[in-house]
Order: sequence, then structure tokens, then C-alpha cells
Amino acid sequence: MDTKETPLVIFTILAQMSVGAFVVNGILHLFARRKNAKAGIDKLSDPALYAIGPVMVVALLISLAHLGDPLHALNTMNNFGRSWLSREIVFGVAFAALAIAFSVVHKREWLTPLLHELLAGVTALFGLAFILSQAMIYVIPTIPAWDSWATPVSFFVTTFLLGSLAVGVDFVAVTTLPGMRSRHGGDTRPLLYQSLRWISASALILLGVQFVIEPTYALELSSKGGAAAQSANLLLFGGGSAFVAEMILFFAGGALIALFLHLIRGGTPDAVVETTAGSGGAGAAGAGLSQRVMVYAVSTAFVCVLASEVLGRMLFYTSNVRIGF
Amino acid sequence: MAKQLGFFIDQNYCTGCKTCQIACKDKNDLPIGVVWRHVAEWVGGSTNRFNGAVETSAFAYYTSIACNHCEDPICIKVCPTTAIHKGNDGIVSIDDGLCVGCRLCEWACPYGAPQFDAARGVETKCNFCADYLAEGREPACVAACPSRAIEFGELSELRAKYGTINDVAPLPDSSITRPSLVIAPSRNAQPNGSPNGSVVNPKELV
Repeated sequence: MDTKETPLVIFTILAQMSVGAFVVNGILHLFARRKNAKAGIDKLSDPALYAIGPVMVVALLISLAHLGDPLHALNTMNNFGRSWLSREIVFGVAFAALAIAFSVVHKREWLTPLLHELLAGVTALFGLAFILSQAMIYVIPTIPAWDSWATPVSFFVTTFLLGSLAVGVDFVAVTTLPGMRSRHGGDTRPLLYQSLRWISASALILLGVQFVIEPTYALELSSKGGAAAQSANLLLFGGGSAFVAEMILFFAGGALIALFLHLIRGGTPDAVVETTAGSGGAGAAGAGLSQRVMVYAVSTAFVCVLASEVLGRMLFYTSNVRIGF
Repeated sequence: MAKQLGFFIDQNYCTGCKTCQIACKDKNDLPIGVVWRHVAEWVGGSTNRFNGAVETSAFAYYTSIACNHCEDPICIKVCPTTAIHKGNDGIVSIDDGLCVGCRLCEWACPYGAPQFDAARGVETKCNFCADYLAEGREPACVAACPSRAIEFGELSELRAKYGTINDVAPLPDSSITRPSLVIAPSRNAQPNGSPNGSVVNPKELV
């Protein structure tokens, strides 16, 4: 498998996860606002929110490793009018700056609620424009494997999939890790479980979409002959068993999310949440087990899906076959 | 001054000797791994045996290609830095001072023209031997070809003289970038995208 583009694999995956987490967080806040539960959801989502800007900055720094002459990096914004790569960098840097600005405004409780939401909305739009530009870089007429609807679709699916799972891991961590739990009040539980149900259900749907797109697209390519067929061959077999591993990890991630959804079924699963060592009672041991299972399920699902997305992105770059010379 | 310079390649005279490639490498002092002009060998047809007789339709022909200084260069569209530009004479060149070495032009160009100089971290490509042209000399590849299979000149004049064919395998569909290139096709030449044959020296084209 082609490992030359490792910096781009890490950059695209981390950046997509950052944008996805920001947008998913925003959507959850919109739901929570309708239930007057802003303070509760803030407690749950703050760690993820504060991580988004720095992760995006790290992603952008890693992308420099892909350049032959990083000292000329600022030139990459010169051709905004024509080059999707210029647009990617402009929107990416703007998203990072806005995400950090939003974190500061949020932490310090600056601005009116309306301006606050406006800033979040603008940040999310820059993030989505960044993902679109990032995908369009690869939609080049001379590389049939990338010159397709599948490129932007799979980039956006990855964005929302990793974003929602990252937020899910954050929510579960905030409510269960000892250090973080003290900051979390009991009143957020219904909100927490409703959010987690939404996150899990969306993640399952997105996983399904990706699970169907990938093999279908490889088959479509292989039927076209020429450079497209070579790309299909590289996608399916170019990474040894990487494609099969990607599919298995997808499936494992989906199964774990389904298990998690099963664990948090019902209205307010207090039995699942009450777990502290001293809580006593006959149900404590069983409840403790459920909660451990819940944490393991979500974090393992996240790791499985992240690993499969990394493999998928590596295969994406490996499938780069150009027409002509 | 020419409005749009272009190359003419006669596949009927090209023997695949690669003197053009070496002359270019020598003149431009290109490092190992960088070849601005390269020669593809397309081999097709088949050989069949029946009733003790052998019948063959096997064929081969060569295509020498460098940058085609396209009318609609895809390299310029994808370049994030505006380092690539088209001059008054139609020559497409790269400004080292702007290039960031992201290699996107190299991915996109269907003629393999932009090539990465790893030591300097920038893309490089054929500049039509602009310095030689200024001295009234021919580009190194044109001057070196022992079978005189490469010519250069004003594109409109080349087309008036030799026609407009430039869609021969393994070249890409010319509508993508509109190359300033005219080909006199081999009698065995296949249309681009043809399944009859393949490039048998892909490693030389990297």
C-alpha cells in the first residue's frame, strides 16, 4: 500500500473529525435549546468543543509535511479564484481560527446569545466549505477513480461519522470518568441519553451508507476499464487485505454502536448510570457492569471506525491512477 | 514572437531511441528521476497459430512527449500558488519562487509533464528551451532527434502543415487540456482509450 501520503491521510482524517464534531455539537445544541437545557449540554460538550480548534491546528501543521518547500506554505492561498487547494487552505485556516475564537467567547461568556449562535453558525459554514473544497481537490478529470460523486460523498460521510462518534465518546467520558463526573449534574441525564441515541442512530446510518458506497464504487470503477479499472484493482487488492480489514472494522464498529443503542434503550436509564462504588443495593454490581460495557462499546466503536476510515483513506490515495502518460 | 508554440511528433519516423530524452536531460542538467521528455512504447495486436501457420497483427509505435504547453493547462487550474503561468509565446512555466511542492500539478497533468525535484522541493518542467529560442536555436530535443521526428513552431502553422491529430493512444483525450501538439500517427496508431495494446515501458515514464 502507498504510504507516501501519510501526512495527507492524517491531515484529512483529523480535519474532517474536527469539522464533523463542531457541526454535530451545534446540531445537538439546537435540539437542547428547544428544551431549555443549554447549561446541561454545555457541560457535556465543552471538552470536545475546546479540543476542536487545537486538533484542527495540529492537522494543518501535519499537512505541511506533505509540501516540498514548507517555507512557501503561505503561497498556497494565492489561487483562491481557481484552485480548490487554495480554497481548502483558506477555509481550513479560517475554520481553525473561528473554532478557537468561538471556544474563547464561549468560555468567557462574551457576546449576546444571538451573536454567540451566529458565530457558531459562521464557523460551521466555514468548516463545511473547507470539507467541500478538500473533496473537490481530488475531483480531477484526469484521475477517474477520484473524478466522481463518491469523493465528496465519502468525505462528508467521514466528517459526520467521525464527528458524531468523537462527540459521543466525549459525552460518555464526561459522565463516567471520575475526574470529569463531578462537573456533571444529574439533571442532564435525559438530555445525555437522548443525545447519545441521536448520535448512535446517525452514526449507524452513516456507517451503512459508507458500507454500501465503498464496494459499489469499486465495482463501478472496475467495469469502466483502463485507468479506472486499475484503480479498482488497487482499491480492492492494492493494500493486501486492507480493504477487507476496513470492511470488518466498519462492521465491528456498527455492531458495537448497535449494542450501545441497546444498552441505552428506554427513557431514563438510571440503572445504567448509578454506578459509584458506594451506591450499594442489589443492582449496583449489574449496573456497574452495564456502564463499563457502555464506555467500552462507545470508545471501541470509535477506535474501530477511526481505524477503518484511516485504512479507507490510505486506499483512496493508493488508488491514484491517472489517464494518459 | 510566436503566439502559441507547439511540438510536432512524427510516429512514423520515431524509432524509440530516446535521444530527445537524453538531450533534454543533458541540456537542462536534470537530476536522477527527473525526465522532462519521455518516450512511451505502445504495443498491441496478437499472434495466432493455426494449421501450423503463424499469423500476427503485432505492432509497436513510440510517442515522445514533454510538456505540450496546453491551451487550457490543467496544471495552472489546480496550482494553489499561481506559480505556473502561460507566457506570451504560449510557453507554460513554473516560478520556483512561488512553488510550494505540493505536487498537485504532477497528479493532474495527463502528460506527466511536471516533475518533482526532491532535492529542491519544487516542481520542474519543460520550458521549451526558452533560452535557446532567444538565441535563435532549436530546442535540445528537436535538434538531437536522429530521425528528425520532432519539429516545433507556431501551433497554427504546424496544424496547417500536418493536420490536427493529437488523440492517439496512450495520449489522453485532448479535449481535457487542448495540448499544443500535432501527431503524424503511425499506420498502427490506436485511438486514445483503445484496449488494443498497452504502454510496455511504464517505469520509464514516471
